[in-house]
Amino acid sequence: MTDGLSFEALALPLFEPLYNYARWLARDAEEAEDLVQETYLKAFRGFGSFTAGTNFRAWIYRILRNTFLTSRSGLRGTPQVSIDDDPDRFEGLAEETTPETIFFSRANAAALQTAIEGLPLPFREVILLSDVENFSYKEIAETLSIPIGTVTSRLLRARAKVREALRGSK
Amino acid sequence: MMQDLTAEEVERYADGEIPPEALPEIEAHLRDCSRCANAVLGVMQMKRAVRAAMPRFTPRRPLVLRKRTSKTFVWFAAAAVLIVIAIGGEMLVLSRNTSARELADLHSTILASANPIDVVSTDRHTVKPWFEGRVPFAVNIPDLSATPFRLIGGRVVFWHGRPGAYLLVSKGAHKISLFIFESLPSLGGTPQMTIDEWHANGLTYVAVGDVSRDDLEALRRAYGG
Repeated sequence: MTDGLSFEALALPLFEPLYNYARWLARDAEEAEDLVQETYLKAFRGFGSFTAGTNFRAWIYRILRNTFLTSRSGLRGTPQVSIDDDPDRFEGLAEETTPETIFFSRANAAALQTAIEGLPLPFREVILLSDVENFSYKEIAETLSIPIGTVTSRLLRARAKVREALRGSK
Repeated sequence: MMQDLTAEEVERYADGEIPPEALPEIEAHLRDCSRCANAVLGVMQMKRAVRAAMPRFTPRRPLVLRKRTSKTFVWFAAAAVLIVIAIGGEMLVLSRNTSARELADLHSTILASANPIDVVSTDRHTVKPWFEGRVPFAVNIPDLSATPFRLIGGRVVFWHGRPGAYLLVSKGAHKISLFIFESLPSLGGTPQMTIDEWHANGLTYVAVGDVSRDDLEALRRAYGG
């Protein structure tokens, strides 16, 4: 909701979270700064087209993400593998995930980070948006322009891949 | 008693995405089923671990959006500064320097911008309608084809709280800013600039620039003066 707020009031508090997201997407500090810069310019110029009453955070994140995807490194970094969004749905509990088996200590934080960084972009970004940025499924769906059901299945598969990578790193 | 949660239900519960009406049944099940409770706890722990493990990057610079300077337009700053002000119905008092300096600064600022104009067109029939609804007056653009001047495009500017039309015109390598306002406070000149003033079509035109008087007179003729 804009609630009549100005672009400045809505957008400027998101500067640091947007930079963080850009940094994770681009994996490069300077490129992340350029992405944020370009995102703000596009958002500012397109603010008139922003629909009041819809989610501003998802809107500006979507601009950032689209800017990244059309950038040189975005085109280079987007995997050419097919991301099957209508998955082999897990029937029941797909695997045993007990607190004991995924006890994350400070010691394996690095392994967890490596596992997430190694995910293909579509999986990496749903984990970042959900777990780091605390986006709701609806916000993620709006940001990535995908249905909510796809958010759920993609998150499920992303977390399964992280667990798999962690098991492999042991 | 309900069956075990599906993997997606486990995820949605840990993410707080179960609709309120479905929560009582799921929570009753989780109290009775250690297998499902463990699965939910596992996802919750993972979420927390991810948040803790992922470093938050912060910009190297404080919150200042950089202004990009375009090499294409850097030379404009050195180009002739000519400001033409068309002012409706106001006589001008060319005694105060401040306003002309402000407009000269605005001219340089716009030319140094990566996007100096919003409507890019040499066609006056494209540029004129673009201003409709953007400024509170009609922007008439003369046919410059028989003159050494060429229209490049335009944008809306605000100066002293007044909306105005801005036209970017070239003469050879020189770029000329033409500001058009409905009304303006009295304008001053600067000692370095040539100033010409004329009246046509009920408007007062003032040209200010560091070009020759001949150039300003040619522009005056092009604008019907």
